[in-house]
Amino acid sequence: MTDGLDLVATRPLVVHDPVVRLPFEIGDRALVDIGVAVEQGAALAVRMREVTAGPAGQRRRGRAVRSGSIEDGSARSGSWSGAQDGAAGERLFELGGGWWVSRGTPDEELTAPVAGVVRSIRPGSGLEFVASGVAVAGTAATGGPVRGRLEAIDARDGDLRAGAIDVARAGAILVVGGRVDAEAITRARAMGVRGLVVGGMSEKVLHDLAASERRQLASVHRPPPFAVVVLHGPLRRPLDGPVRTILEAAAGREVAIVADPPMLLLGEHGGSLPQIDPLAVWVTQGPLAGRSGRWAGLAGSRRFRAGVQLEAGFVLFPDGSRAAVPLGDLERHA
Amino acid sequence: MTSDSRSFFALDLGSATTTASLIGRIDGRWRLVGSLAVPSAIPVDTVTAHVAARIAAADPALARTLDVADPNDASGRPRLTARSGPPPVIAVLAASEATRILLSDAATDAGWRVVGASLERDDVLALLGLALGPPIDMILAGTADPAPSAERDRAATLDALIAAVIDRRPDATVVLSGRLALAAIGGRPGGAEVLFAPADDPAGTVRRWRRGPVGNDRPEPLVAFLERVRERPSDAATAVARTTESLAAVLGLRVEVIDIGMSAGRRVAASPTDRADPSTSGHARARSVAIREAALVPQPLDDVAVDEVMAWLTTPLDRVRLRDRLRELGRVPWGEADGGGAELRAAALRAALARLVAATADRFPSDPPDLVVATGGSAATLPGPAIALAIADTVRRPGASGLALDHARLLGPLGTIEDDDERRRLVEDLADDLLVPLGSVVTPAGIRAGRSAGRLTVRAGTGVTALDLVPGGLQLVDLPPGHVATAEFDFRDPVRLGAHGRRFAIEAGGGLGGLLIDLRDVPLHLPDRLEHRRELLAAWQRALWVGFDG
Repeated sequence: MTDGLDLVATRPLVVHDPVVRLPFEIGDRALVDIGVAVEQGAALAVRMREVTAGPAGQRRRGRAVRSGSIEDGSARSGSWSGAQDGAAGERLFELGGGWWVSRGTPDEELTAPVAGVVRSIRPGSGLEFVASGVAVAGTAATGGPVRGRLEAIDARDGDLRAGAIDVARAGAILVVGGRVDAEAITRARAMGVRGLVVGGMSEKVLHDLAASERRQLASVHRPPPFAVVVLHGPLRRPLDGPVRTILEAAAGREVAIVADPPMLLLGEHGGSLPQIDPLAVWVTQGPLAGRSGRWAGLAGSRRFRAGVQLEAGFVLFPDGSRAAVPLGDLERHA
Repeated sequence: MTSDSRSFFALDLGSATTTASLIGRIDGRWRLVGSLAVPSAIPVDTVTAHVAARIAAADPALARTLDVADPNDASGRPRLTARSGPPPVIAVLAASEATRILLSDAATDAGWRVVGASLERDDVLALLGLALGPPIDMILAGTADPAPSAERDRAATLDALIAAVIDRRPDATVVLSGRLALAAIGGRPGGAEVLFAPADDPAGTVRRWRRGPVGNDRPEPLVAFLERVRERPSDAATAVARTTESLAAVLGLRVEVIDIGMSAGRRVAASPTDRADPSTSGHARARSVAIREAALVPQPLDDVAVDEVMAWLTTPLDRVRLRDRLRELGRVPWGEADGGGAELRAAALRAALARLVAATADRFPSDPPDLVVATGGSAATLPGPAIALAIADTVRRPGASGLALDHARLLGPLGTIEDDDERRRLVEDLADDLLVPLGSVVTPAGIRAGRSAGRLTVRAGTGVTALDLVPGGLQLVDLPPGHVATAEFDFRDPVRLGAHGRRFAIEAGGGLGGLLIDLRDVPLHLPDRLEHRRELLAAWQRALWVGFDG
């Protein structure tokens, strides 16, 4: 019965202790050191806005030339200049005997999405963070990182209706099933929802949302951050059964969405992981997409629609039907 | 590899599929025994074990002879492995926009994906942010040489920026070119690897860059230099070019290989050298060009790229939905290869071929080669006749060519054999197994509109077929694989078919698609109205593609 099951691609149901990357812009200042363990919500960095670059002041290499400067021979690009004369900032590069530094206005704090350990810090590039616990990997995400309690509006299938979101959902990360449109996203943001977990989302909607989020962040009176994580890709597809079970078990807990890599972080108390039938397979593509069943052996090379010859396997569906499905359209969870 | 083994696996590890083929020595010759293509997510050892198991089940005695009777031991067989993957990313930092464009073009030609900024257009924060970004594999920075005065003023800032980048990213590889390279000779801080870009380009395209005195490498143009830096072990692109040379030498034919992959499109042409010259007889030289924009799903997937695919689709689909489907094709290239997915692949393949031909037209002969070979992931699942038609639709040259498919994806793995003679001997043995004949296409140009362009008589072993030549039409003569026919054309007016004339006799080989008489325009003109265009495309595809219902 398991013959040939190893030719079906495997996707991990969850990722344990994933490494996530929180991007830094030039001028952002880390508040933690490498190796430090932090709790959920702890401040990791201060984000800067309206950052510009300019000379910190003329000086000779390795010598302070201005009162309050702590420049010395160990200064290097990316370190923080602690000058007390208003010239403080991230050292950028050394030119003409002096450092150019970034200058900006402290803005918001970047906080830990879940508990974890700081793995690396690269000024101007990002901070790598080992998130404790489990996470559900997505295919795309925008915005974030955001935190909120996980709530399911419709974890089965179908599209999210804008009317289903009200102010009682403020502060939540909503699991919204198969697909979501632009109107529902607009309403979710207006109601103070922090994020959405969705099976499929059109790339255009995701792209528009990312552009809107950038505009909002650049505004003076910015709304709370908002993020979306897409679990299965741009096409409409309901959430896989085991994924649904995990999300239902984690409902009510504080979770987080991060964009790099796209993930829903469930933390150390991510809920119980479902037992997976070792023969269970999911149809991810083609006319049977979204259905799950049990592996029933290799079907060999078969002719499918449009006269295409493909390697296939038999799948037994819960309704008792049996079908040969191309191996490329199948997936199983590890 | 081939001297002391009874069998070995040829592995083509692509972005979308993994293909494992068992090559065995049977009756003193190397033969293709079996192959299997699966999604690239499947571990290689699993695939080789299944190939061995199938051979053992089909012919236990042969499996024992080839030493693959126990599938669990298959992973221990020798392997030739070719790998292809997405192109690495290079950040181009330049003193001026003109230099950024020149450097970016050189890097693109060398197969890199390029992001760039210049001090003329962007501020120092933008340049620093770009170089520190996570997707960057290498940094190319430079000025012109000699640098104009505007660049000279910025060169010091650019030099300081590069020093800062090296300080922050000691693992980075940085290439310096032009005046910047000359200024930097004598040492660079930090642990980063700094290369100095070369000059001495005979074609004059990169004459402005001068190579620094590093190592013992010979001076070479910037494009070749960047190509060499980019190359990875077992690089499929380089390997396919080598096998194309061997194939041209073995067959004594002008061969062109067209490879549309998930990360780039590639065109390789090789011609056998002069047989009269004993020093070069039996060899061939290949020209190979990779175009990143000619990938099956190009990145970025902008509106132009989506519209190019839409122009070849036979079913109506709006731009938003088509973009999502193409994005999904890029994400899961092995998914939904049948039905509408096959039609989408065929349309994306045509769009990619058209981009490849447009981008390489000035670098390849305008005469058709004797044999066109399709390879790569995009051709892996489509029916043979559908591939033949896609090539006929897009690679349009007056003349006649044979068409074939590298069905077991062997061109890459065989090309990883560096010894020319050993590779050529192997290709000679495998020549009959390597390629599946798709047929022949005859494309006359300069046909005048009218009811009839003349007559065609096809004489094959199975009999004689006569038909009227209809201008603008696509006519099919059934000619199975292994058969050869003589096609005698008698045109009403003179046409171009290799030469200019009215009467031609062409020997054509058969294949899965038969003999294709393509009397459509060169280049192809399609109706502007989408509905008419779709009807015409669908009619052509229905004629060749059994099972197509678009």
